[in-house]
Amino acid sequence: MTPPEAPLPEALAAPDPDRRSVLRAAGASLALATAAGCDWAPAEFGSPLYAPARGLGGPAQSYATVLELDGIGRGVLVRVLNGHAIKIEGNPRHPGSLGATDVFLESAVLGLHDPARSRRLRQRGQVVRDPALLAAWLAEQRAALAAQGGAGLRILTGPVSSPTQRRLIAAVLAAWPGARWHVHAPLADAAAAEGARLAFGAALVPRPDLSTTRCLLALGADPLGPGPAQLALARGWAEARAAGRQAGRLPALLVAESTPSLTGSKADRLLVLPPWEIEALARGIAAELGVAAAAGATHPEAATLAASLRAAGPEACVLAGRGQGVAVHALAHAINAALGAAVPYLEDPTEAAAGTLAELVAEADAVTHLLVLDANPVFDAPADLDVAGLLRRVPHSLHAGPQVDETALAAGWHLPLRHPLESWGDSLAFDGTAALRQPVTRPLVEAAVSVEELLSALAGPRADGQALVRETWRAAWGEAGFEERWRAALEAGVVPDSAAPAGVPVLRDDFTLPPPMPAPATPVAIFAPDPHLWDGRFASEAWLQELPRQLGSLAWGNAVLMAPADARAAGLAEGAEVELRLADRVLRAPVLVTPGQAPGVVTLPLGGGRRAAGGVPGGIGMDAYRLRQVASPWMAAGLSLRATGGAGWAERGADFTLAGDPRVRRLTPGEAVPPLPPPRSLYPDWQYTGHAWGMAIDLDTCIGCNACVVACQAENNTPVVGPEEAGRGRAMHWLRVDRVVSGSAEAPQVDFQPVPCMHCEKAPCEVVCPVNATVHDHEGLNLMIYPRCIGTRTCSNNCPYKVRRFNWAGYARQAGAVPVHNPNVPVRPRGVIEKCTYCQHRIKGAQDTARQEGRALRDGDIVTACQNACPTRAIHFGDINDPTSDVSRAKAEGRNYALLGNLDTRPRTTYLARLVS
Amino acid sequence: MSSVEFSTRPVSDQPLRGDFGWRFAAGVAGAGLLTLMLAYAVVALLLRGTALWGTNIPFVWGFDLINYIWWIGIANAASLFAVVLVLRRHGLRTSVNRFAEAAALAAVAAAAIYPILHLGRPWLFYWTVPYPATFEVWPNFRSTLVWDFWGIMSHVVVTGLFWYTGLIPDLATMRDRAVAKGRMVQAQIYGLLALGWRGSVRHWARHQAAYRLVAALVLPMLVSAQTIVALEFATTLVPEWHQARLPLHVVATGIPSGLGVVLALAALLRGGLGLTRYIDDEDMHLLGKLTAAAALLCGYVYAEALLVALLEDATTRQAMAARAFGAYAALYWGGAALVVGLPQLLWFRRARIKARWAVPIGLGAAAGVWLDRFSLVAGGLVRDHLPSTAPLYAPTMPEWTLLLGSVGLFALLMLAFARFVPVVSMFEMRHEESEADVP
Repeated sequence: MTPPEAPLPEALAAPDPDRRSVLRAAGASLALATAAGCDWAPAEFGSPLYAPARGLGGPAQSYATVLELDGIGRGVLVRVLNGHAIKIEGNPRHPGSLGATDVFLESAVLGLHDPARSRRLRQRGQVVRDPALLAAWLAEQRAALAAQGGAGLRILTGPVSSPTQRRLIAAVLAAWPGARWHVHAPLADAAAAEGARLAFGAALVPRPDLSTTRCLLALGADPLGPGPAQLALARGWAEARAAGRQAGRLPALLVAESTPSLTGSKADRLLVLPPWEIEALARGIAAELGVAAAAGATHPEAATLAASLRAAGPEACVLAGRGQGVAVHALAHAINAALGAAVPYLEDPTEAAAGTLAELVAEADAVTHLLVLDANPVFDAPADLDVAGLLRRVPHSLHAGPQVDETALAAGWHLPLRHPLESWGDSLAFDGTAALRQPVTRPLVEAAVSVEELLSALAGPRADGQALVRETWRAAWGEAGFEERWRAALEAGVVPDSAAPAGVPVLRDDFTLPPPMPAPATPVAIFAPDPHLWDGRFASEAWLQELPRQLGSLAWGNAVLMAPADARAAGLAEGAEVELRLADRVLRAPVLVTPGQAPGVVTLPLGGGRRAAGGVPGGIGMDAYRLRQVASPWMAAGLSLRATGGAGWAERGADFTLAGDPRVRRLTPGEAVPPLPPPRSLYPDWQYTGHAWGMAIDLDTCIGCNACVVACQAENNTPVVGPEEAGRGRAMHWLRVDRVVSGSAEAPQVDFQPVPCMHCEKAPCEVVCPVNATVHDHEGLNLMIYPRCIGTRTCSNNCPYKVRRFNWAGYARQAGAVPVHNPNVPVRPRGVIEKCTYCQHRIKGAQDTARQEGRALRDGDIVTACQNACPTRAIHFGDINDPTSDVSRAKAEGRNYALLGNLDTRPRTTYLARLVS
Repeated sequence: MSSVEFSTRPVSDQPLRGDFGWRFAAGVAGAGLLTLMLAYAVVALLLRGTALWGTNIPFVWGFDLINYIWWIGIANAASLFAVVLVLRRHGLRTSVNRFAEAAALAAVAAAAIYPILHLGRPWLFYWTVPYPATFEVWPNFRSTLVWDFWGIMSHVVVTGLFWYTGLIPDLATMRDRAVAKGRMVQAQIYGLLALGWRGSVRHWARHQAAYRLVAALVLPMLVSAQTIVALEFATTLVPEWHQARLPLHVVATGIPSGLGVVLALAALLRGGLGLTRYIDDEDMHLLGKLTAAAALLCGYVYAEALLVALLEDATTRQAMAARAFGAYAALYWGGAALVVGLPQLLWFRRARIKARWAVPIGLGAAAGVWLDRFSLVAGGLVRDHLPSTAPLYAPTMPEWTLLLGSVGLFALLMLAFARFVPVVSMFEMRHEESEADVP
């Protein structure tokens, strides 16, 4: 018996169990046992996943893999919790990511969980429930093809860099000697390859290291804009910029462009020119720099730009962009050569000895069997190539794709394709660095196959995806030490030292240029990829549809970009509907009056107007492919415009320009923002004795790429509200990127300003909340207590930054809501306000990890989602109580200022002013 | 005795009549229908949420607040009018203060539904009440919304008390006359509500003291209630709202709207219930001139707003310009015209006497203040510190339904008032007549 002087602590002195508590405990055990069974442990899949733990605390793990854009790989780390892939982060070791992400990478996790993904076999668009039917059909076709030696078999793919896929395609072509491979890349630019052949005799592509470039001339090029190499180029540019700020000598970015781009917005010198003027400028600069083939050409701006380039010498770089003519590409290479610029060139990793889509359509009569692999030519082929007709005429066609897209509905058979996050594979980065792709989750669609498996089945007996990839690399590495290298490559997410050899090529001796492009009759149409939908493949990603475009804040739809002068001349107001007519094809679309657009040039963004795009309703935006022609894929003259009198979208409200816009500051090197008068308050200051979290956003390096916005949305379960609600101004983004346009409409100065919650010391939202639902925590975070919020919205009224968002409806919990959730962040119900928390769960996770490891929290342990995504590392976050922290040093710069600092809200988020030389 | 020709019978007979005629029935039916619409709008709102409205970020408030301030303004002005009459022992009080009080009460009832329905989670409205909850979180006493909670609660209680205290002697009269007519059920109800009033001198002395005390209580509260509503806006950082003159503006512009509603009701009751004898022309003249004078005062308030804006800092000046000349300019100037301009017609004799003039003018002034509140809530946000690309606020069908429903509720309450209690204060009438008899 327990001696009476030593009673048990009260908590342990449990009473004798009675019947009710026994039943209660039994019930709880049963419930917990059921819950434990809900996890999808990856081990069930049978494929071991290799990764050292990179968890954010707790059981989450990161797996390295690779995702592609236009066939080019970008390495990612996928955060997996209980078998669910919940967030994509960049892989710092991969040259195509360097730890950053772009909007496409971030949204991959949404594509994986898309409930509207293709899940079933289809025959002529109709669901087929019995997979044996396809197997029987395949066996039949195999026999038929065997009889003709594969003649009539055509394989159509997108651009392919994957060594395994290329090996398998080669095996298929070897097994079926009559077969042919065609590549369809709607955004590939044949002029670039042609220009490189003119200059060097080979289709080389420049891979500049912008971190060492002191003068960059972009001739219609958008190195900072979206694309497979954006993350590396933007990082390099930001590093050069940071070095220039240190040295007091900013690198020069010279941009000549016809339509506004992210690169143009960061230009030190921006020339808004139509494409033929860009060519004339390129010729003029080349003539100034002594390129013999361009001798005699002049342009009024050429001398100054040539002088800047000459001053930078080997540290100069000229890039020609997508859509420019052959001459511009060739001239860019020639100028680089003339300057002795240290710009390495290498062979395009997706370059292949394959036919084009146009060739495939031309020989349609010879095709009996067509295999379309992960491409959607019915939607994204030029309008004068009748791919739908081809699919109708070809007796036997099979389309494999991740969505039930236009081609899936037109093809004879459709087979759901595995998501890249579900399958094995490999890929090359823009610089040729190889990376292995491993599944990070159990396949979510049972019927789906991977491209590799499909190709292997065509070449011989169908093999497992992992075996196929291993076979490729076993051939490359040999047997000795293969397992170790394989594991190391999987863990790192990159095959070490696999970059393709690059060198500075020599200009051909017989370098000549095609004759100058005459100025066509205006207006001309130029085509451009959509910054969020790309070639249209991302139209099913609700995050990207709802993400306001960098230009004009358009979401859920696209528009024709017109120069203000052109719009005035045509009598078109912003948002008015215009009818475009090009070679007897007609398209109606709303107009976006765009400062910085070249007069006489109308930009048609591709990728909108998908007729079948998964769960996203069809017909959002206009489909510019319908005006595109094979002969003139990037610029087409003979466009005619007519105002229809209709309205493309409703008038948008409270936008106004601010005289001497106080939001974005521009300084010259060495200048400092004048300090504000000392703040006043009725309330005493609070002393933060421990940590005090703060953020600094460098507007000098922010390129407005929107990656942070999608990263924030993915991390914080920010709901998608849909086109109607977004049109009412109810999008929920916790972080927005404001575009501040100043200067003239012809040559505007554009600044981007990401605006998260400011976490004000004297937060105006807190005093007005009647129920104390938004309060400061002990580390200075201004936080929402969702269960306490009753939804008066007063806090939003009193927030001068307007960063608070309200759940007007139960967006996150209603039917059709985004199906992927971060379990560390609550999913907010209807009727409550929500906003940026500085990724408070990440702060807590890092603190837990540090405590478990028995150490103090280090600067850099906490990385917010937006910060981690940023390709230029413009976002600094950390402890402002620690004067040595990265964020404290950023805030100590003379460029540091508070947005609306005159209101004395004392924001924790501050900005570093943009520098102009 | 001159009281041979004077009698309060026509007043007391109204509630005791069995049949009110088809007009009254139609009125009740119309008001009832609108009130049913209110019920529908409320149920739809609870099921679907505030997404039904045209609100967004930054226009987080729409009809919810517009109508709330408007109703509160009407209630306050009507109460203010009644209180001033009681405290000054003005002759007009006999005829109009009873339904001015009733109008105030009904308007408070219509107003009080909005602060609850406007919440994202209306079922949690009681969290603004300081009660000892187990989680020991108290309301934030720095928040103007908590002040507003107290403002509304006090308003409901004091307006109700004021109306009820004034009614007690008449309820006793009704009891006695119902007994005389043999209507025992009605007599018992009136008797219960009359609190055993016997008309003794002691009763009268205490009643008069209580009535004047409650009236005196109402007076500061009316200013404070309106001011607190205005402070919900004035304490924010929104440039056009963050102004010291806003409470004055809201209080001042509320007066012609409340007086206008009382004027319109008086004109309607006079004609509709045949009470011309009891709400005589002099009463109408006084009421009409008061409304016109209050409107003149509003003219000063409007002019001051525009003039002072010129002296303000650039942000405030631009915000004022955006409100007066921006997207919602029509509301601003429409409101100014209806509040300041239209009541000036009441300086004409005919306009005060004839219902066909007085009713539209009175209701026009009320509509003008509604436009002013719309301009304040939505137009005040057109120019904030940072630009926004969100679409402007425009009310949706569910919001209109809610507004019409609250008008229906107001009308139903007023009709019930006309049906069940004497619309003119009988004891005051008797008092006035007896005073008039004194040589």
